Amino acid sequence: MFKRLAFCALASALAGPVFAAPALADTMTMWVRASGANAAAHLVDLWNSTHPDKIELTTIPDNEMVTKLATGVQAGEVPDLVSFDLIYMPDFMKAGFLVDLTADLKANPNYASVAQAYKDIATYEGKLYGAGFTPDVSILVWNKDLFKKAGLDPEKPPRTISEIHEDAKKIRALGAEIYGFYFSGACPGCNIFTTSPMMVAAGSKILPANGADDALTGDGVRQVLETFKEMWSEGLVPKSAQADNGANFTAMFKTGKIGIQGTGGFLLSELKHDVPDLNFGVTFLPGVQEGQVSSFVGGDVVAIPVGSKHVPLAKQFIAWELTDEAQLDGLAKNNILPSRPALADNKYFAADPRVVVTAKALGVGYVPWVYHFADMVNSDSSPWINMLQRAIFDGDVDGAIKEGREKMKAIAAE
Amino acid sequence: MAPALVFVAVFVLAPLGQLVAMSLTDRSLLGGGKFVGFENYLRIWRDSGFWRALLFTGKYTLVLTPILMGLGFALALLTVDNTPLKRITRTIVFLPVVIGLSSSSLLWFWLLDEQVGLFNKLLVDLHLIREPIVWFVTADLAFWAVVISITWKVVGFGMVLFVSGIQSINPDILEAAVMDGAGYWSRVRLIILPLSRRVLLLTTLVSAIGSILAFDQFYIMTSGGPRGQTFTAVYWIYQNSFVSFRLGYGAALSIVLTLIILIFSTTQIAIAARTAET
Repeated sequence: MFKRLAFCALASALAGPVFAAPALADTMTMWVRASGANAAAHLVDLWNSTHPDKIELTTIPDNEMVTKLATGVQAGEVPDLVSFDLIYMPDFMKAGFLVDLTADLKANPNYASVAQAYKDIATYEGKLYGAGFTPDVSILVWNKDLFKKAGLDPEKPPRTISEIHEDAKKIRALGAEIYGFYFSGACPGCNIFTTSPMMVAAGSKILPANGADDALTGDGVRQVLETFKEMWSEGLVPKSAQADNGANFTAMFKTGKIGIQGTGGFLLSELKHDVPDLNFGVTFLPGVQEGQVSSFVGGDVVAIPVGSKHVPLAKQFIAWELTDEAQLDGLAKNNILPSRPALADNKYFAADPRVVVTAKALGVGYVPWVYHFADMVNSDSSPWINMLQRAIFDGDVDGAIKEGREKMKAIAAE
Repeated sequence: MAPALVFVAVFVLAPLGQLVAMSLTDRSLLGGGKFVGFENYLRIWRDSGFWRALLFTGKYTLVLTPILMGLGFALALLTVDNTPLKRITRTIVFLPVVIGLSSSSLLWFWLLDEQVGLFNKLLVDLHLIREPIVWFVTADLAFWAVVISITWKVVGFGMVLFVSGIQSINPDILEAAVMDGAGYWSRVRLIILPLSRRVLLLTTLVSAIGSILAFDQFYIMTSGGPRGQTFTAVYWIYQNSFVSFRLGYGAALSIVLTLIILIFSTTQIAIAARTAET
């Protein structure tokens, strides 16, 4: 009898915390690459303040994310959620690093209005593995004061690359230190972001998905390169552009001495903060003919690594980050673009139409679905940057395209 | 002895063995990896990028090492006495050595910037150039930009080694030479230089191996450009391993570079030993 009483007492003591107390809240871990950390923190803070389950955010240096996630997955040491550069999505999906989210995302009514580029990049063999998280997108900015001084209509941005060229000539005539156009000539990433959409807008395809696929197709590539080459040889672009590996990608336009430049949406808040008096406009990156527009959709996607210890909860977070609440109060309120272009017209962006244009650029943007993106584009020895430099600075446009095409196809065939 | 052997086995031999094993696979940073024999090594023969990087690394080493040696030795001669002014001078010249290489590269990257760089401004103010130089626009200019920055960064290290070498020379020998009527340059040439041979060898080895393994300064200042003309051998290994995800190939490149350094160091030590005997 005593034994039975003692057992019951022990059993109730052990079971007490399990059955009597309310369920304990969980804490999820999340890795975010440094470039997206600021934006991710806004969303995570909002989640943490409105949910019993919390997220601990860890920032990973940009160029360590691939190594860290790859070794983490192989060692079974992964976070519950991960936010990384969307361009690595094909490699990660193929490597089997990510949890299949197809059923959850297809059942989510908000997912339908996510920018198409995010859906494309997160699809592998018909399945979905991630969602847009903290977007960025490329746009064209122009200095309205310089336009006015050059006798151009400050409210009429260039609608084609030829118009960029013509406007740049007039702006260059303003003075020795005033330049019509700027691009970072030694920065592969900057140019895939801002120059490739002009080619895509003109109907070209840039990167091959595999060895049998075509690269650098259509006349858009040649026409854009020809225009850039002419602008360079006519001195409409500062000489320093040739050596700029991206260090001056955002700094040059801030000086107020550049008429037109392709850049990223992230520059808007920087410009407003750093040079509040700079009078600039925002438009879509144009193609060869009027009406042709495009952009490069960048930023981060969010996914669940295989080995996550809180998969159901992590899925809840992904579903939540696509809601109006998260997109507007977590992102738009903090000057960050929502990944659903339909939310571009919102109360937070209403005061500045330039932000609305930027948010809408997500809807017309593209992102290349390729393996070996770093090899083909981002690497400092990539065929993409070699093609640009040979065409623009050496003037050999056709030779550059031919060489770029062959090298890109060779990489895609690996 | 035994703890040292364990240390070497765990921290040197085991990783080296793993590296060799990895170099025989097609392992990717994203996982996988099957045995491919010596395919990676055969690929190195065909990899013009690697040979170009190796040639560039050789040029960098051959140019930089004599500069560091000559300047380090000259500075040591100038500051070898322990007067307060010379001690302060030594400290100032040595200061950049304790700065991280990445930090100093970043510092020089902006110092050499054609828009806001103070180095260009100095040259313009001194009327040495008419307009700011775009330093990283050609491979030659970029090369010299890095050489200038690294000389500033590490020349103090050689200087301190030479100072300690010169100070360890028995003063009686130098005094005897003075008594015999030897002038300053004779003493430098016939006594100081030969008796500093060990330090000279050590400094050459350290400078040369440091140059062969150069990475940070080029990664930060030139990004391998323009047109991939300033990739060093280590930078090429990094590109293959972590940008292109080819870990197996990167491992094979590392093994080849290790062998090259081994041959280079052994030859250099052997030559120095033979010179010492004669």
